[in-house]
Amino acid sequence: MALTPVLLLACAEKTFNSLLARDPAAPGRLRRLAGKRLLLRLERPSLALLVTFHTQGLGLLHAPQAEETDADAVVEADCEALGSLLAGESLEQLMFSGRLSLRGQTHLLEATRELLMDLDLDWEAALAEWFGDVPAHSLAEGLRRFARFGLRSQHELRADLSEYVFEEARLLPGQAQREVLRDHLTELEVATDRLEARLARLQRKLDARRREPMT
Amino acid sequence: MTKRTTHFGYQEVPVEEKAARVADVFHSVASRYDLMNDLMSLGIHRLWKRLTLERAGVRRGQSVLDIAGGTGDLTLKFSRLVGPSGRVVLADINASMLNVGRDKLLDHGVGGNVEYVQANAECLPFADNTFDCITIAFGLRNVTDKDAALASMARVLKPGGRLLVLEFSKPPHQLLSKVYDEYSFRLLPKMGELVANDADSYRYLAESIRMHPDQETLKGMMERAGLERVEYTNLTGGIVALHRGIKL
Repeated sequence: MALTPVLLLACAEKTFNSLLARDPAAPGRLRRLAGKRLLLRLERPSLALLVTFHTQGLGLLHAPQAEETDADAVVEADCEALGSLLAGESLEQLMFSGRLSLRGQTHLLEATRELLMDLDLDWEAALAEWFGDVPAHSLAEGLRRFARFGLRSQHELRADLSEYVFEEARLLPGQAQREVLRDHLTELEVATDRLEARLARLQRKLDARRREPMT
Repeated sequence: MTKRTTHFGYQEVPVEEKAARVADVFHSVASRYDLMNDLMSLGIHRLWKRLTLERAGVRRGQSVLDIAGGTGDLTLKFSRLVGPSGRVVLADINASMLNVGRDKLLDHGVGGNVEYVQANAECLPFADNTFDCITIAFGLRNVTDKDAALASMARVLKPGGRLLVLEFSKPPHQLLSKVYDEYSFRLLPKMGELVANDADSYRYLAESIRMHPDQETLKGMMERAGLERVEYTNLTGGIVALHRGIKL
């Protein structure tokens, strides 16, 4: 069991380094980061991870006893905040909302995010290693054409389906109809509130009359 | 007068012959050592070494000695962890293994903070209290006088320094032990013959593993060498154990 977390970290490291090796912009970014280290402390699940950078990639090491002085930057966050950061949410916003704390060289975290999230993978070069330049280019071109066809077909299918459901078969109301209905419902809600207020006032008058002594 | 003997696998050989015989084994397998390790352990030896690295707790600027460092797997990682202000010494008794390790590290762009020393673990050529951390991975069982080697390592460790011994051990589970025996004595020499064209060296590997002290015995040896807080972790069902002791 001692090896399971080690295996997961090794897989993550291998995956990151394989992806970085396919990105033409990565060597320049890694050169700037080489020798730096980032200590990432996650709260839930509790995990201390030391990320080291070198010219060929990065290293991930479980380091529960690592000291802050051993890292150039220390990040403390929970998984959700880290996910938001990787999804592109502003670092300042996460820090000001108290979901992420950062000490040391703050630009190191931005540079790490840029390194990992701005990957522009050269798949064609990877295919060329297996099949050779010309077949790889044909295969990549075919895949690109197929992807474009898939995207176009998806848009067309969505448009056709929407036209059938809203316009031809009228199975569901369209956008305009929904808005008219919402306006009517709002009007009805306001009128009901008014009626309720009038009834309450009449009730109060009736109760007051009942309490007055008979003259 | 009878000559003092020691074990070389299952054979008894004169003490002064063992080092030369072990050297022959490693001269023979040096060029394909990494490939054979991957094949024999199905790549798991990389995880065992990663765990050693984690438990070493090495920091920036520290000095590390990687004894029997062979082809430099641990040295490569340590050199990145200690950074340019730190120092890693890759030591091995065998020149062929050291050459393979040096070439591999240079190919990985590692140079500035790594030194290479051909040395016998029993009499390390370093001053007392020199290193913050010492590792010996899959090397102790090949040493003729293990007690002398452990004492030598304890001597060159700084107070507060850690010694980590990663070595094959004894699986406590009977069934796993039987499967492991079958694998070691039948399959391993065949793989050695196919890949490295050397069945005898890999037969020696299996035999030397069986002759190596078990987890508790090695723990006692480390304590007798002057290390404290000695603990061990069984890995892969006890096929391998990672011992760690601290010099206080």
